[in-house]
Amino acid sequence: MAVFLLLFMMAGCGNANQDTGSANSAGKGTSAVNSAEQKGANAKVDVGRGLEIKHALGTANIDGTPTRIVALEYTYVEDLLALGIQPVGVADVKGYQTWVNTTPGLDDSVQDVGTRQEPNLEAIMALEPDLILTSDFRSKEIYDKLEGIAPTLAFSPYQEESAGVDQYQEMIDTFNTIAQVVGKQEEAKQVLADLDKTYQEAADKIKAAGKENAEVTLVQAFSNQNSPVFRIFTDNSMAVQILNKIGLQNAFKDPAVEVYGYAEKSVEAFPAVQNSDFLYIVQQDDNVFETHLKENQVWKNLNFVKENRTYALGGDLWVFGGVLSAKTLVDRAVSVIAP
Amino acid sequence: MSAVTGLTSEKAAAPQKRTSRGSLLLIFAAGPLLLALLLCIQITQGTAGISLSLIRDALFHPAPEDPFHQIIRGVRLPRAVMGMLAGAALSVAGVLLQTLTRNPLASAGTLGINAGAYLAVVVATIFFPSLMGGFPLLTAMAGGLLAGGIVFLLAGQRRSGPVRLALGGMSLTLVLSSLTGTLQLLFENETAGLFLWGSGSLIQNDWQNVTAIWPWVVGGLLLAALFSRNLDVLLMDEEVGKSLGQRIAATRTISVLTAVLLAAVTVSAVGPIGFVGLIAPHLLRLMGLHRHRLLIPGAVIWGAIVLVAADLAVLLLEPAFGLLPAGSATAALGAPWLVWLVYRMKPTRGDVQGASSGMGAGFRCTLPYPALLAGAGLLLLLALGAGLVFGGKTVPLPEVWAALRGEASKITHYMVIETRLPRLLIAALAGASLAASGTLLQGVVRNPLADPSVIGVTSGAGLGALAFLIVLPQLPGALVPAAAFTGAVGAALVIFAISRKGGLQPAKVALIGMAVSAFASAGIQALVVKAQLRVASALTWLSGSTYARGWEELAWLFAWPLVLLPLAWGLARRLDLLALGDAPAINLGVSAERTRLLGGLLGAALAASAVATVGTVGFVGLLAPHAARLLVPNANRKLILLSALLGAVFLVLADLVGRVLLAPKEIPSGLVVALLGAPYFLWLMRSAGSRAGAK
Repeated sequence: MAVFLLLFMMAGCGNANQDTGSANSAGKGTSAVNSAEQKGANAKVDVGRGLEIKHALGTANIDGTPTRIVALEYTYVEDLLALGIQPVGVADVKGYQTWVNTTPGLDDSVQDVGTRQEPNLEAIMALEPDLILTSDFRSKEIYDKLEGIAPTLAFSPYQEESAGVDQYQEMIDTFNTIAQVVGKQEEAKQVLADLDKTYQEAADKIKAAGKENAEVTLVQAFSNQNSPVFRIFTDNSMAVQILNKIGLQNAFKDPAVEVYGYAEKSVEAFPAVQNSDFLYIVQQDDNVFETHLKENQVWKNLNFVKENRTYALGGDLWVFGGVLSAKTLVDRAVSVIAP
Repeated sequence: MSAVTGLTSEKAAAPQKRTSRGSLLLIFAAGPLLLALLLCIQITQGTAGISLSLIRDALFHPAPEDPFHQIIRGVRLPRAVMGMLAGAALSVAGVLLQTLTRNPLASAGTLGINAGAYLAVVVATIFFPSLMGGFPLLTAMAGGLLAGGIVFLLAGQRRSGPVRLALGGMSLTLVLSSLTGTLQLLFENETAGLFLWGSGSLIQNDWQNVTAIWPWVVGGLLLAALFSRNLDVLLMDEEVGKSLGQRIAATRTISVLTAVLLAAVTVSAVGPIGFVGLIAPHLLRLMGLHRHRLLIPGAVIWGAIVLVAADLAVLLLEPAFGLLPAGSATAALGAPWLVWLVYRMKPTRGDVQGASSGMGAGFRCTLPYPALLAGAGLLLLLALGAGLVFGGKTVPLPEVWAALRGEASKITHYMVIETRLPRLLIAALAGASLAASGTLLQGVVRNPLADPSVIGVTSGAGLGALAFLIVLPQLPGALVPAAAFTGAVGAALVIFAISRKGGLQPAKVALIGMAVSAFASAGIQALVVKAQLRVASALTWLSGSTYARGWEELAWLFAWPLVLLPLAWGLARRLDLLALGDAPAINLGVSAERTRLLGGLLGAALAASAVATVGTVGFVGLLAPHAARLLVPNANRKLILLSALLGAVFLVLADLVGRVLLAPKEIPSGLVVALLGAPYFLWLMRSAGSRAGAK
């Protein structure tokens, strides 16, 4: 495990330092597509038409190119929108608009199919979809039912570290798989190339501002049991991996392995990272920094508070998202750190 | 076994008893030392690494700019002080309530006072935010008083048996907390800050909470100490008490108010924390303390010790488990304690007799039994029909009929045959099983308030399912019912194995069930915290849902009731005989112990199969038998059949309402049952109480 961690950290450093030329990063973009297709040795193309895709909960056979797609998890909604496809149905549309809020957004024509945890099967059926996208941790119990309605792909965004799939790579692989299924590989290449360009430009700006390799702490805050709780993101999280790509380093070191990419901590965890820049995500109606922490002596005496280095990234930034959210994260981080 | 039965049997003798010097030394000298030691250890525990020398500096040479000093002074010290205050308040409230009710099992947690105060806080936060801002304490107190009052009413009179009162409190707690849970689900945004606070947490960020509550706690403790001499009188004979007249009444009123005040104050600051009010006073009584003059100061010290120790456990487990609520730690400590107490308990006559009084409730309906059965059956058919027609999209009756004959369009077929029909049938079967299980368990425990969730079978299933969902997420989801079933049967076996000693006394079964239930709930809370991003699937399962249940689940479920319900029907007559009391039953050739064991296992298996399929749906096992008792006399055979039908109607309707109300969102049917069932249950309690009063 220790060896693995070391390798993992080295890989992280490699990523951060590698982005020296745009040609190089464009090359990385295509290699990501390739790796997905090789990995997608699990995705066999039949002679005539039809794809056989192995996924987290089984195998799906997809004939033709799906056009009526229902997405039950926000990330996959994003992936579709990035490829220029409006899904016919989305679980919890209002939640998507509150928490994820990407550009391009959802059309008014998109139907709400209930909650992400218990989507309304009748509503999905009524849309007569030809593809359903979901995650394994939400839809494991209802996979059979979903598959009865339309071919269903379930992805597995949070895997044990021993599986050797990091969160960022999983996101890219999933994006490519979806692009392949809906026949938009060219668009996907373009999206990923643009994303790499975004990283590169952001890295340049951060370098220009003299903030290269600056330490940051990324936190999602909310109140629980009448006291603030902080999700502090760890090195294996997708969000931190993205920040690494633009030349920022994570100040938070967690001895435990966090499958979901964050540790839930109280305000006690902050003195250890008080010299970093503090990037936070909080909902306006639950802004613990304005309520619980405003008069808090610990909080007020932290270096990043005294030196005004706390930066709000906005409540509609989805750190568990896909390619669009990745761009939002980069844009907002750059706008506060290297304005 | 003086600790439990002592309160009543030693009522006259206790005050004269001398407490040995050794125990006094242990309680009043070693206690504070232990507390100080625990506090020292507690302050060193936490995320930020803090050394002892740093603590010394922070305490005696504070540097206002140093965040580590601020953590010690502004986070850890208030948490420690809050632990002491809350522990002392809860334990003294426990002593007062135990004395008042002459019931060793009374405490703010078991009497529903905590849950009532918490519900009031949640309601006020949602509907009257200004009230909550201005008078949080009064709000919590009003809720606590109301809940306490209801339990007293429900359990009849002051002199009702300990088990009756405790069961009443438990089921009221169940009612109130499912109401709270429903409100939290429906008003997610408003109550975000209260989420999970429901299990009680001592985390503090500053001295604000402590400064808000300490005058009340200290005032309440002083009041209790002031009246300690009068409290001794309360434990004396009723006759002696009567001769003292007015003073007794005043003492009683003031003690009730003090106890509720102390409990409500702690709930308003740290949420409902159970078991402290049971453990600490029992420890003291075990050590031979009986006079209130000593008992109350002792309870202050040892209540603080118990809660601070539980909180220390929470802190020590934090690296491995995340932020656990302190309430789950006290439950994990307290439940085995309760089991041990009950295990050693001698049967008391009061529990064996009288317990079944109140089983036959309310007005008897004069309709003949077959007509009732036919009516209930018709109701079930109507409910099923409505369930097929209504949903996110209404399917007209002719189309439903066409679908049933296999002549409808693909979509209609899917809606009616693939989605609605199987889940409605599952709801019906699960409802019937839970209702029959409730009837059986009420017969076994000889108490109308027993049901699968009070007895611990449901929590056991929940623990099994969650352990599976969260610890082994890589295994297929189809095995969740098996895991839940294992958990439920496991819990039942533990309960019956422990209460086997002494021949399955109804009271013991009920109490050990409650303890096992509390223990499993503590485990569930720990797992929910551990679930992180998977928490939605865990919470949905826990609220109980007929969502997306299909023909495969039905195939799994339907065999159980098919086999078990006839067996239950066969056993029912013997349970009737048990209701007469053990001795008459034995004279009639019925082995009390064997009947109870069979009935209990049957009930547990029925509930387990239902819960494994639909999650932890509560209440049906309580509501349906009660409704049936209103209609037919106390004959278990008739009861089981009718209550099974009514249980089926209940759950089918809950499924329908959950699908229609907020479509396309679905409300878990367990929550619908709670929402519909709670008012009905409270009404039942009220009518039971008024009859008891009139007697």
